[in-house]
Parts: sequence; C-alpha cells; structure tokens
Amino acid sequence: MSVSTKVEAPNPLEEGLRRRRTPEPCALTIFGASGDLTQRKLFPALYALAVRNLLPPKFGVVGVARTEMTDEEFREKMKQAIQDHARDGFQQDVWDEFAESIRYVATDFADQGGEEHVVKCLNELDEKHGTAANRIYYLAVPPSAIETIVVEMGKRRSAEGWTRVIVEKPFGYDLETARKLNEIVHEYFAEEEIFRIDHYLGKETVQNMLVLRFANGIFEPIWNRQFIDHVQITVAESLGIEGRADYYERAGAVRDIIQNHLLQLLALTAMEPPIDFTAESVRNEKVKVLKALHTPGPKHVVRGQYGPGHIEGEEVPGYREESDVAPDSMTETYVAAKLYVDNWRWADTPFYIRTGKRLPRRETTIAIQFKRAPHPPFELDSDDALRPNVLLIHIQPDEGVSLAVGAKVPGQGMSIRTVHMDFLYGGSFRTGLPEAYERLILDCMLGDATLFTRSDEVEEQWALVDAMVAPWKRDRPNFPNYEAGSWGPVSADELIHRDGRSWRRH
Amino acid sequence: MTHIAWVPERWVDAATDTLAGMGERHPSRTILLFPRPDEPRDELDGEVDLRCFVRAGEQGQVCSEVISLQLCGPRANAPASVAVPLLVPDLPVFLRWRGEPDFDGPALPQLTGVADRLVLDADEWSDCDATFARLPEIFDRITVSDIAWAKLQPWREACAALWPGGIAEADSLRVAGPRGETLLLWGWLQARLERRLELEHEPAGEVELVAIDGDEVPQPRATRASASDLLSDQLEIFSRDRIYEEAVRALEAVPA
Repeated sequence: MSVSTKVEAPNPLEEGLRRRRTPEPCALTIFGASGDLTQRKLFPALYALAVRNLLPPKFGVVGVARTEMTDEEFREKMKQAIQDHARDGFQQDVWDEFAESIRYVATDFADQGGEEHVVKCLNELDEKHGTAANRIYYLAVPPSAIETIVVEMGKRRSAEGWTRVIVEKPFGYDLETARKLNEIVHEYFAEEEIFRIDHYLGKETVQNMLVLRFANGIFEPIWNRQFIDHVQITVAESLGIEGRADYYERAGAVRDIIQNHLLQLLALTAMEPPIDFTAESVRNEKVKVLKALHTPGPKHVVRGQYGPGHIEGEEVPGYREESDVAPDSMTETYVAAKLYVDNWRWADTPFYIRTGKRLPRRETTIAIQFKRAPHPPFELDSDDALRPNVLLIHIQPDEGVSLAVGAKVPGQGMSIRTVHMDFLYGGSFRTGLPEAYERLILDCMLGDATLFTRSDEVEEQWALVDAMVAPWKRDRPNFPNYEAGSWGPVSADELIHRDGRSWRRH
Repeated sequence: MTHIAWVPERWVDAATDTLAGMGERHPSRTILLFPRPDEPRDELDGEVDLRCFVRAGEQGQVCSEVISLQLCGPRANAPASVAVPLLVPDLPVFLRWRGEPDFDGPALPQLTGVADRLVLDADEWSDCDATFARLPEIFDRITVSDIAWAKLQPWREACAALWPGGIAEADSLRVAGPRGETLLLWGWLQARLERRLELEHEPAGEVELVAIDGDEVPQPRATRASASDLLSDQLEIFSRDRIYEEAVRALEAVPA
C-alpha cells in the first residue's frame, strides 16, 4: 500500500525576509489595573511596543480593578501614565490608535458576576477588534487575589484561541504555598500557558550574560573552579520601602529579592551551556544549578535591618520608623549569604550574595573574581599591589561589562596598578535599552517562555529560601544593626572576611 | 565601529541630518569625506567634533567622534589613504556612499577595499536603471546594503502573505513609488518566482501602491522609520544579502 503525502511548496517570497517577531491577534487583560505597576511599567511598555509596531495589528487591552472608572477615565489615566513614565516621547497618532482598543472593567472578584463582565468585554473586543479569542491574563495583584482570578477565568476560558497567564512575583510565600499555587494554576492552565514573571530576566544585561558566556570563546574554558576564586552577586538599593510596608513586612529582603532575582542571577552565572536557546533547554540548565545549591548553615547567612542614617546627604528614617511598619518589626531589609553549587564545575567555589535596602547606592552586579597569578616575577611593595582579575557584569545602572587587569605604572621600576577595560552598553549600542517589561510582554504574546520561571524553578528557589529562614524563627537578632547609607551589618563583612576575602570595593 | 561617509557636495545637508539621529543609536567614529576635486588647491581641511547625546531616560551621555575632511583637488582621488589611519582598530567599518556609486572613479574601489560593508540608497540615484545594471560588478568585492531595499521590507512581507494564491503565476506588476524601490520590488519578484513580469511604474515620493495582476496588495502598516533609523538598521547587518543580490541581478532588460 502506498501512502501519498501532500507536501506544501515552500513560499519563495519568505526567503531572506528579516521578519520581526509579530504576535498573533490577542487581548491582554490586566488585573490590578489601577495599581502602580500598571501605570509605571505595563502601559509604558505597551506604548513602547506600539511605537515600534510590535503589537499585533489586532489587539486590545482590558484593565480590571475595583476602582470605579469609565473607559474614558481609564484611558486618560493611562495616557498620563505614559506621558510620565514612557521612555519614548508622546506621539498623539500612536496613542490614538492604541487607545481605541483600551477598555476598563470595574469589578471586585468577590462580587458575583464580576468575571462575567470581563468575559463580556473580551468577547466584544473579539468582535470589534478581531482579537480571535486569544487571551493573556496579567495578574498584577496581591498573592491573595491570584487564586480567585485563576479559578474564575480558568472556568471561563474560551474553547477557541489560546490563553496565557502572566503571574507577578511573589509566586507564593514559601515552598508550601508556591506548590499549592502551582497546583491551582495547573488545574486550569498547562505549564506552557503560565508565565511567571521575574523582570530581571527581561533586562538586556541579564540576557547578555548568556551571550558573554556562550558566544565568546575566551570565557567558557576558564569559567570554573580551576580559575575562579569566588563569585559575588550584589543587588543593592538606596531606596527604602517606598510606602510598601504592607507587602514588605511580610516579604522581607529574602522573599523580595533573594528568592527570585538573586537566585536567577546565580543560576545564569553558574549554569552549563544549554543545547539551544529554547525555553525548555535554558530552564533545564537553570534548574540543575538550583538543585545543586547546598543549603547554607546559619553561620553562612547574615540578616540585617537598617536604622536611621543618610542617603546622598539626606537624613532618612530607620526601617522601624517607616510608616505602617511595626516599631518592633523583625523583618530583614538586608541578607548576605555564602552559597555553594555542589557540582563538578563549581565544587568549593563560594558564591557570596547580598541584597539590602538603604545601601549607599543602587547597584546590581555580578563580580567573577579569578584566582591570583600563581608566581608573579616582579618585586612588589605588597601582595595587594597585584590584585586578582575581576570580570564585573553591571546589570544596573550603567549596564555593561568591565575587566580589572593589572597594568604597569609608567616610569622607572615595576609598579603595578589595577585598571579597567570597560564595555558600556550605551557606549557601543543604541541608547534607551528596552524596558524589561517590553521584552517580557512581547515574549508572552509570542508564546516564548524562555525568560520566565518554570514551576520547578520556583519550587527549588523556595526550598532554598525556606531552609535559609528556618533558623530565624529561633533567634531574635539585635535590630536595627546597620545604618542607612552603609554597606550593611558588620556581620556581613565578617562572613566574607572569615574566608580571607572581602566584598568588592565600590 | 567606524562609519565612513562619502558625501559629494549636494548630499551634505542630508548626510548631516542623518548623522544627528544615527549617532545616538550607534556610537561610533564617523569619518565624513567631502570630495572637492574641482578645487584648485591640493589640500586637506579637517575638523574634529565630539558630539554628545543625552541618553534618553538615563543619566550620562554617549559621545561620538566625527571627523570631517574636505579632500581638495587631487586629494579627492586618494580617499582611502586618508581614512585608513583614522579607523578604529578591529571593529567593523561601514561605508555610506551618498548618491550614485562612481564605478569608474578611484574613490569607490579604494574605499570598498577598506570597508566591510557598503551602504547605498537606490532612491538617491538619478539613473537607477544604469546603476543597477552595473551594481553586481562589486558584489564579490564587498557586502552591499541598500536603504531602498530596507524600506521595501513591509511591502515584501505583504506580497509574501499572498502566497500561494495567484502570485505564484503572476504576470504583471504595477508600482507607484520611487524608481529605485520599484525596480528592486520587480527584480525581487522575478528572482523569487522565477518568471518574467511586466512592469508598470508611476513615479511617486514613496511606495504608495503595489498591484499584482491588477489586484492591489494590502497596504502594510506604516513603519515610522526615519532616515537615521534605516541607516542604523543597516549597520546591524553583517552578512551578505543573497536575496538582494539576486533581485538586482534579475533586473536585466529594464523597461523604459
């Protein structure tokens, strides 16, 4: 018996077309549309995509929140948000076209029928704007509201088109709640339909980490325990909690930064080369690193809380004096830890991580410190004159990469001084790097989950964090233990000094 | 990177405008070469500017070096010897040639000898038919970009969306647009479909209409790309564009 197969001829006109990735028609529903994130990040990101013609030609946005507003009032509010926060200048024609597809639904999901209003609005968008029943639900809401929305929208998911859900951090409060949330979401949505956002992964410099490591022949051969002495990852913020006491009192630095951003940066630094740049390959490698992380003992974790101090000359209150913070709060605003990745590549190579609020300046960096030259043939004044090479990856601000190398000071004798070879993003490529949210929203529209966190990644992250914080229930540190405007508690310095190392100079 | 621009007198204003927009996107060393072969003096006049652009929404600024050189008299015949010592070592060199490429003069072969990529714009040519006929002569010497070709991208996508349909057996093409883009679209369709198409051309400032066998191709969305954006896009391409070269080679026996 012969089987005939109809093979469609390839389109010769497609050959060589440098197509931009254009998503299919869809409607984006933002739950929590009256919130700060929507105004500061989401709408400016959507507008930036509109300016660059990267939104689908048939597109709609539905804002959902409790605040009573008409469509027109919501549009005006979002227009103002774009004028205040967008990275592009305001263009009336772009806005007019974009605004046509914006709707608003005022509802509290606790009320019966709220979800029906949303569905009705989406159906109208399908009819009027041709959004083809393709749906993205963006959950920019507190964790307590996620379950209701997932269940209600999951029950009402359209049989036609595709549905994707973007979930903002924090995804759960600990391993148990994260698992429960995963179970609930998986009841209605497949894993490939769930996009857990960690906006750090949308940053150009974070993605450049992968390019730096895997597109340059000189780094990978030395990217291991043989050549690297240790790694330092710093996420420093000069800001306080900016009126978010309700969230921060529950989260603290460990849940706000370490569980997501910092562990993601560590995973990208330590991962093996993926076989390709697909979502599954990249995430498989990251999960292997997270699984290999050795649980740090209490002596390898330091926490702190800021007291009053000065930031850029301005006197700022201590954490306990911030509005809506308990006067005896034990929430940590600083965490430093020494972690080990127990695998062939990294055995015995410490990864020192630290994050804190009210530190002297905003800075996110990954510093790869190489081992010292084994036997320098120079007569030097001190060992300190020949410092180890450091590859410094600046995530924010001033995105770029620099390499510290020793150079001869001109003149008689053989004095050596550390100098920097710098690559500053803005100095070599176009300025105005895309905002992380632009990249991530577009990727979700395209169904590309590479830069989003998978369920097993989230659970591995929580497992480590749970183990880190478990001993904290038994002791009460003497908070506050660092001054606002300093680089953290003395115990954080001791953590690294014990190993004969020090935090990098700033 | 180094960006060399060959700017005959009539293109000075356009080149300066484009540069202002491009410097922000592509911090680079720009060497502007202004040939003045008819000047009686045999001299070089030079000027160096540091042009700094505030980074949108960010602190700090990005600075680009712009070296402007007037090549007076016989110096206009040896531009490569002037440019080579000024190139940034080890980084790509792009040559933006304003106006019609001078295939028979000394400047083009010299400068294509030091550049990695030649950027042209067929819409700047007064005699597109003759220039396209000779363009394949340089394809094996240097990789060529054409801004007119970049402008056609949305129309090419719109045509590709008609496949398979009747476009596979198309017999005629009508274009209202600049001559350069019209010819490129025509050559591209002929090369890709491997068949001859009758061409009907109506001059216009930009491509306004494309019709295949009398049926109008749906108008693509506006791109809002400035001249600086179009040039900047070309500076991000490094590989040889075989499809473009085949489109140009398919422009034999250009109709009047």
